[in-house]
Amino acid sequence: MIAQEAQYRDWMVAALAGDATNYRMLLTALTRHLRSYFSRRLSDSGGVEDAVQETLIAIHTRRATYDPSLPFTAWVYGIARYKLIDEYRRAKRRATVSLDEAADLFCHDETEAAAARRDVSKLLAKLPASKRRLVEQIKLEGTSVAETAAEHGMSESAVKVNVHRAIRSLNQSVQPKSLPVDFASKGNGDADR
Amino acid sequence: MQTDDLIAQLSAGLEPVRPGTVGRQVALGVCVGLALSIALMLTWLGLRYDFGDAIVSFGMWLKLSYAFALAALALWAMARLGRPGSDVRLPLLLLALPIGMIVLLSAIQMMAPGADRAALVMGHSSDVCAINILCCSLPLLAGGFWILRRMAPTNLGLAGTMAGLFAGAAGAVVYAFHCTEAAAPFILAWYTLGMGLSALTGAVLGPWLLRW
Repeated sequence: MIAQEAQYRDWMVAALAGDATNYRMLLTALTRHLRSYFSRRLSDSGGVEDAVQETLIAIHTRRATYDPSLPFTAWVYGIARYKLIDEYRRAKRRATVSLDEAADLFCHDETEAAAARRDVSKLLAKLPASKRRLVEQIKLEGTSVAETAAEHGMSESAVKVNVHRAIRSLNQSVQPKSLPVDFASKGNGDADR
Repeated sequence: MQTDDLIAQLSAGLEPVRPGTVGRQVALGVCVGLALSIALMLTWLGLRYDFGDAIVSFGMWLKLSYAFALAALALWAMARLGRPGSDVRLPLLLLALPIGMIVLLSAIQMMAPGADRAALVMGHSSDVCAINILCCSLPLLAGGFWILRRMAPTNLGLAGTMAGLFAGAAGAVVYAFHCTEAAAPFILAWYTLGMGLSALTGAVLGPWLLRW
């Protein structure tokens, strides 16, 4: 995020002067950072999107408190961190639920999901380390392509191509010989056969 | 709502922000709080009867400079705490300066040969001083919280504490025009207690009233 400081600061200064186009580009760019920031720190995905939106609204309503002589990224980070703590606090409040919901505990069986996770990690182990890291970041951790590309010093298209090839090779490795099965809808495979 | 729609909505209704908006709000909150505090002191306690002589005395200037320095530093810290990502260490560290000065002066006065130490500390108004300062600080505390609620404090406890310290110290500046005490040990003990009570009030109220 720090790499874009100058660009974001320029957009913000223009936005403070009333430039809606720059403001929109800024918020769109920030959304990507915020989504990856919150998804690494909050467990449920609904909470992530809530926190992203809350932070965008906070940035909007409190934009007058940004002083252009100070780092913009530090200002955004301060707000995001505050909203994260807020979200934790809310999650803690939600955590106290009535005993009536005890039955919910047994409604969902996580065994299948756990087995699927194990399968995924076994599959990923077949990939060379560099490609495996890319797939993990993009497909499992939800990091943006741009961020991943920056981290590995690759171009965005190179990241996309690598991830695509890795997924295709995994896809081929799990398919029974010459039987075309859609990897993504593995669960329906039995019915098709 | 979809995040993209939210962004579209926020940017569509974008109004320009006049430079210095926050600064003007800080000035407004401080001025209104100060005016109310002065009005309260004048109607309730009254200006000290020997004001003409006192205004040139050392004790008066000691009180005023001690309280004014703390008020200015606390306001500076408070304004920084209202802007996410600002560094607040410098104003907090500088708070030690006026406190160190008054401690030093108190020690000198207490150590002086023939000093009546009990009188130096207790004066003649120690039973009301701190509570009067707290009362004079209340309009300023309201002003400080009004300012912070328009900013974006992320450390609510510390922001509340600094608003309280600013209010207490500025309230002490106002109260100094009524109070006839002049000894450094008295100021160190009772003025600091009054400001501390106000800071404590701010610390307790901050997490409740400053949420956003």
